[in-house]
Amino acid sequence: MHIDWVLVERTVAAVGSVIVFVVAAVALKNDWKTPGIENQVFKVMLGLLAIGGVIAFLAGIDVLGRFAGAA
Amino acid sequence: MAVASLPHGDALAHDDGPDQLYVETRELRLQGFLLFLVSDVVLFASFIFAYLYLRNTGQSWPPAGISRLDVAFASVNSMVLFGSGCTMHYALENWKHNNFTKYAVFMVATIVLGVMFLGGQGYEYTTLMLKDHVTWSGSGIFGASFFTLTGMHGFHVAVGVIYLTTLLLQSLHGKYTKDKYFGLTAGTLYWHFVDVIWVVLFSIFYLI
Amino acid sequence: MAAVETVHAGGIADHVHPEPQGFVRKYIFSIDHKIIGIQYMITGFVFLVLAGLLAEVIRVQLMHANGGFVSADTYNEVYSIHGSAMVWLVVIPLATGAFGNFVFPLQIGARDVAFPWLNMISFWLFPPAGLLLFGSFLLGAPAAGWTEYPPMSLQGAPGTSMWCAAIFLVGISSTMTGLNFLVTLLKMRAPGMTFTRMPLFCWAQFATAPMSMIATTALAAALAALFMERQFGVPFFDPTKGGSPILWQHMFWFYSHPAVYIMILPVFGIISEIFPTFARKPIFGYKMIAFSSVSIALLSFMVWAHHMFTSGMAPALQLPFMVLTMLIAIPTGIKIFSWVATLWEGKIRYTTAMLFAIGFIATFTFGGITGVFLSAVPFDLHAHGTYFIVAHLHYVLVGGSLMGILAGVYYWYPKMTGRLMNDKLGHWTFWLFFIGFNGTFLPMHMLGLLGMPRRVATYDPQFQHWNQIESIFSFVMTFALLLFFANMLWSIRHGKKAGSNPWGARTLEWQIPSPPHYYNFKHIPTVFSTPYDFAEPLPYAGLEDELNDTPGPMPAAVH
Repeated sequence: MHIDWVLVERTVAAVGSVIVFVVAAVALKNDWKTPGIENQVFKVMLGLLAIGGVIAFLAGIDVLGRFAGAA
Repeated sequence: MAVASLPHGDALAHDDGPDQLYVETRELRLQGFLLFLVSDVVLFASFIFAYLYLRNTGQSWPPAGISRLDVAFASVNSMVLFGSGCTMHYALENWKHNNFTKYAVFMVATIVLGVMFLGGQGYEYTTLMLKDHVTWSGSGIFGASFFTLTGMHGFHVAVGVIYLTTLLLQSLHGKYTKDKYFGLTAGTLYWHFVDVIWVVLFSIFYLI
Repeated sequence: MAAVETVHAGGIADHVHPEPQGFVRKYIFSIDHKIIGIQYMITGFVFLVLAGLLAEVIRVQLMHANGGFVSADTYNEVYSIHGSAMVWLVVIPLATGAFGNFVFPLQIGARDVAFPWLNMISFWLFPPAGLLLFGSFLLGAPAAGWTEYPPMSLQGAPGTSMWCAAIFLVGISSTMTGLNFLVTLLKMRAPGMTFTRMPLFCWAQFATAPMSMIATTALAAALAALFMERQFGVPFFDPTKGGSPILWQHMFWFYSHPAVYIMILPVFGIISEIFPTFARKPIFGYKMIAFSSVSIALLSFMVWAHHMFTSGMAPALQLPFMVLTMLIAIPTGIKIFSWVATLWEGKIRYTTAMLFAIGFIATFTFGGITGVFLSAVPFDLHAHGTYFIVAHLHYVLVGGSLMGILAGVYYWYPKMTGRLMNDKLGHWTFWLFFIGFNGTFLPMHMLGLLGMPRRVATYDPQFQHWNQIESIFSFVMTFALLLFFANMLWSIRHGKKAGSNPWGARTLEWQIPSPPHYYNFKHIPTVFSTPYDFAEPLPYAGLEDELNDTPGPMPAAVH
């Protein structure tokens, strides 16, 4: 049986990234009011992680990453 | 008393009870660790600048004879690393809420995901080198910038995996308590730093 | 004031390490910031002697238009190592490592820096780096100048890779020191020591520390890339493989321009301590001096490309870099005006430290003004790569940084050793050094404008006359430095006893015995004001027991 590995990869990436985004966004929301310098840094990091989730999702569904000499 | 109304230098003048030495030492170590991360960011930023500069010297990208990187596989791998950032966050959260079992589970999950990311990167490197014949020193500035930056990041992930494993073992042996767990905070900061750097590297190598 | 102690009972301020036992823990692998500072100073001066000898090789070679003292290849190696060593092994370690370590923790009323072990490691990276750098002569030293531009550095002898490794090591050391100092300054100040009450030397270190931390890391990246390219053939800078030599210049100068201020800002701090002390007057414009240090530090990150006007950069970028560079003259000018205003109508005592500080103002202002010349693109196109550049950089580095460092040694030597350096010999040292220095480097401006290129082993015979005069004066300068070292060594045993405060200075380090105890302060003092108001009583409380026989604080239990 022929498996289209690229399709599998893209599906896994898209689904996984949605989970990452949701988890990071919820964690960010829960932590929103924590004080202290390390928590401020954590919040920035969680925000960037959520953005990372969005980017990985868009790359997974082939929206991003099609530019320049695409093969 | 006049002394009480003095404008104080930071931190030293607060009377926080018996464990003030720990509180103050923790402050110092936290700032020191954050500054270390800042200088590490500068290290990555310099190489990223070098990469973008070289890429804009007027040649087509990727250079002739080199095919584009495998975006689909890389996005799975990125998702794995970003996921490990989330599990790391919950590991620390559970430690703070005194839930040791959940902490250990999330910590192990983080380490496993980190190893998976390294495995994925190893697979990607092997494919590139053996199938596409793209190497560190033999493929012009493409190979140089790609392998140097991702290799540097991979090294940081590997160090992170060892670091987190050490922290896990230490916490199993009771080195940290509910109030004194700076090592875990530092580990979390480091791991998040490694994740977030990858957001940037993934974008600039695979997506533009 | 019993309440003073209870304010911070149990914190870091009262935390005392057990007294180090044995020679090795006390003087070699010491974690005491004062010992580490002195270690930096000794090592830095040893490297100063070595790099100074290389400078004399250069001057002897240039006595004759046809050279003849060393071969052209050796000459290239000599000036490359001379420059690298003076920048990374002499001035930066002396300005930050030596004075920073010894002085500023005392001035902010701390028992040590934030991370004493890290401090020890930073120091111990430094001597091996020096050995690597000078050892590169064995393999064929780097020959592309201290800037090591590719492609020449790519083709250089194997020693060039050792150069990379050496500078990388000093870089790590400098990064860790910067981090350490920054945390110490942010977190370890004595009660009442707000930022606007800090001595100006601390402000100078506070402006320098982030630069050593951030800029040096960028240099580490550049060095790593050069090393990888040389050793493993990974193309970054080789244009035949798609790399770019200009990239190196960007990465190198992004570090090395801030490095210029890493070398001068701490010295500004030294001068700002010496002037009020010996003019018996409050420093003029305390806040202006403090903030101008910080603004110089910020601006220094935005001007690196003014070193590259002739490297083929876009004309549209030249103007902003030129203007930004000229802007630096404003905070620097503010400092110089403030210093001169501090001296104005003061009751000046011409000690050796004061003479060096006044000499510093003259030469540094001169070097600063030629710097403004060079920032102007049209002038830079004309003077680039000539002896005018050599003259400018030696006026700011020797006449600026090194003279400030010498002033600082004369000023703090009694605190380090408990004895004064000989003042009469010091006066001779100053005048010989000052005359020798100006005689060596002043004619270089003229030679540069006439078109004598730098970094050449032989030159047009029309320049020979002035070159011979320069060489003779350079021997005078070297002799002055030898006098200085003789004075330092002689005074350790035979100098006059200094007592705790020989200069009548008002910063905290002078209120405790010389040399200080390993724990610095018996009780951490409380600070009420800036230290410079000579009309007022000392603004400190809690120092009553420092100079009597009261036993020191008990070390904390080992844990």
